[in-house]
Amino acid sequence: MSACVARRPGRWRAARGLAGTCLLGVALAGSPALAQAAPPGPHEDVAFDVMNVLSQAGLHDLEDEQWNAYGQTTYISSWKLPFGAPYTNLNGSTNSLLPGHERSYTWSATLFLGARLWPGGEAYFVPEVIAERPLSSLHGLGGAIQNFELQKGGSETPQIYRARLYLRQIIGLGGERQKTDSNPMQLGTTVDRRRLVVWVGNFSVLDVMDKNGVTGDPRQSFFNMAFMTHASWDFMADARGYTYGAALEWFWDDWAVRFAHTLPPKNPNQLPVDFRFWQYFGDQLEIEHDHTLFGLPGAVRVLGYRNRVQSGSFDDAIATFQADPTKNAAACVDFNYGSQNPGAPDLCWVRKDNVKVGIGLDVEQFVARDVGVFLRAMWSDGQSEVVAFNAADRSLSFGAVARGSSWNRPFDVAGIGLGLSWISASHARYLALGGIDGFIGDGALQQATEGVFELFYSLNLFKAIWLSGDFQLLWNPGYNADRGGPVTVIGARVHAEF
Amino acid sequence: MRSSRTSLRCAVLGALLCALGAQAQTPVEGFDAERLAPSAPGSGWFVMDSLDMHGELGGVLAFSARYAHEPLRVSASRVPVVTDSAYGQIAGAVTWRFLRFSLGFDFPLAVKGPGVTAGGFQYPAADVDLGSNPDTLSDVRVGLDARLIGEWNGPFRLGLGAQLWIPSGETGQYLSDGTYRGMVRLLAAGDVAAFIWAAHLGVHVRPRDDGGVPGAPRGSELLFGAAAGAKLFQGESSRTVIGPEVYGATAFAGFFKPETTSAEALLSARWEGTGGTGPQLRVKLGAGLGLGSQFATPSWRALVGVEVFTPSAPPHD
Repeated sequence: MSACVARRPGRWRAARGLAGTCLLGVALAGSPALAQAAPPGPHEDVAFDVMNVLSQAGLHDLEDEQWNAYGQTTYISSWKLPFGAPYTNLNGSTNSLLPGHERSYTWSATLFLGARLWPGGEAYFVPEVIAERPLSSLHGLGGAIQNFELQKGGSETPQIYRARLYLRQIIGLGGERQKTDSNPMQLGTTVDRRRLVVWVGNFSVLDVMDKNGVTGDPRQSFFNMAFMTHASWDFMADARGYTYGAALEWFWDDWAVRFAHTLPPKNPNQLPVDFRFWQYFGDQLEIEHDHTLFGLPGAVRVLGYRNRVQSGSFDDAIATFQADPTKNAAACVDFNYGSQNPGAPDLCWVRKDNVKVGIGLDVEQFVARDVGVFLRAMWSDGQSEVVAFNAADRSLSFGAVARGSSWNRPFDVAGIGLGLSWISASHARYLALGGIDGFIGDGALQQATEGVFELFYSLNLFKAIWLSGDFQLLWNPGYNADRGGPVTVIGARVHAEF
Repeated sequence: MRSSRTSLRCAVLGALLCALGAQAQTPVEGFDAERLAPSAPGSGWFVMDSLDMHGELGGVLAFSARYAHEPLRVSASRVPVVTDSAYGQIAGAVTWRFLRFSLGFDFPLAVKGPGVTAGGFQYPAADVDLGSNPDTLSDVRVGLDARLIGEWNGPFRLGLGAQLWIPSGETGQYLSDGTYRGMVRLLAAGDVAAFIWAAHLGVHVRPRDDGGVPGAPRGSELLFGAAAGAKLFQGESSRTVIGPEVYGATAFAGFFKPETTSAEALLSARWEGTGGTGPQLRVKLGAGLGLGSQFATPSWRALVGVEVFTPSAPPHD
């Protein structure tokens, strides 16, 4: 869609451009979003960062980069207020959101290092450190986890790890020439609008797909994971949100088709990765069309996925338990989530090769200069447990995000959104019998829609620092109307880019 | 009756011996078993430093991989605690005139060991591979080197180098000491006609001291090493350098005693671009032997490295 791949969240630049000078906006670079680990948003042209400083000193060419280096650090604190619940972790089930007051936080710092190896060939290396304390040990919320940075298995002790290490090869196929600006995980250069891009290595599926330009960089946008991507998209990732695999992007003017073949964790929601590349995997296909509507940019994406993994089916777990009650949650010997409920089924008894599929729609549209709306909806079959992302089988989220140009604070960001998620009938039966999955399971269930309403404002300071305030109202945590809340979560964030 | 008393005594004695034996098997926490501290990117050698920083702002990006066979053996019978270790490293450096700032990230590709009992100590098993540790970084290193005396291509150059290890790997998998560590070295190097040389002498500030545990850190160490090479096939745009590097460390707690001293010898060869204005390539190969068998000295080692570096602008210093 764009000839100008911007240093700020792609479509924002496009919208401003249509209103002003840049006619073609963004497309390819957009904001590479990540999983639980959050995405590097494009930097502002006027940002105070290393590359801009070098460029201004005449020591670096941002238009034709051989390398670049960016960084970010983010601290998010969330306070959950008490809510009423008639029961919590009933009969030894362990995955309730605790009803008392809790504070959660995450701190992350990331380096984004890129280098050009040969014509069209780029290598990226992204080390990262994170420390975290989740609410209720990351239990009790299905699709509406209050902080997108939270990782499974994280700890309060900072952990340094290699988030990404991958090669990207761009193969020009002609068409107009298009600038890609210098950004985290993107070298400044010029590419064909028609091109193939091949990714190989260790990355996040969200670096490649479902890059919504309105919601943009989560570290400047919504706090809740429900707005980072489809809550019910069980894309392959280890416990931190990254995986190994290969992806192919085909850009043809306003169209883009993307395919990724990626690896699952060895056990659901755990860190070790299963490298049996052709036996267990997640395949995803996305088709994107960029458009302008009343002169303002937008995009529509259709995304389908198919996972072939070792996982537990809810119906199988129920049937196994009903046939032999000794095969209950408290008696698990294989990998399990730690339930001590002897009267409940458990997925540990039935893990085998299963296929999970889903299809989703992602729409973004600017409706005014610097004001965009978005909608994501996804249906997953919900027959087997979540392996890599959130405990949701269907999800819908929509909202609006505005930049502060209309109130003379162009780098401020404000947003409002609603996220809803559901579980399948078999998932609900399993939870009602006391079963737990990787995130939820109160010991009983009165099935309901889990939802979150969120309102945030990010205040830009000194060009590269944002202070954000956030309000979230969550209801029916864990899809359980018995413990419906609502639950109020107040958040604050400090984010800096360099 | 007499027989049953004897049996009882034997049983009691056996139980006591078992108990004593069990007590003697002290669990070892684990530590960084990797002895090789790769030189900063752009420094030419695998371990030594060529101290040839010059010109205006320049940069180096390096990828290397190394394998060590039996890098940790303990006791007189040389029981291998870690049988194989393979690491990748991504590192980068920025150079300016006589300074180099570098950042190095080691990631274990495989660290394997059976978990053994030796000398009354129970060493944990090492089981690291990309599947079980898909994103592990062992200790991250930050370095600053400075050439203080001599021209960048002169016959005698002297400088100082410092590195800081930031702990991030697991101790029980032999990836880290679990503490911050530092290294300060006096560096020397030179180019003399068709030959080059380098040497270092320094201190590895190592807080871990597992005194009494064979093969384990014994606190801070003296570092030493030297290298010499011949410039072969020197053309207008590239050259090949071949030569040996010998390096080691000895703990101050047991100065140059066999059980607290490690030493290795490498034969390395590198091909490097020397001309043109675009990015230059350096490819390095090396293989060597451990000299001795104690204090985390591998039986043999192999290394490969690739560096891309921007040629510095004409030196002004």
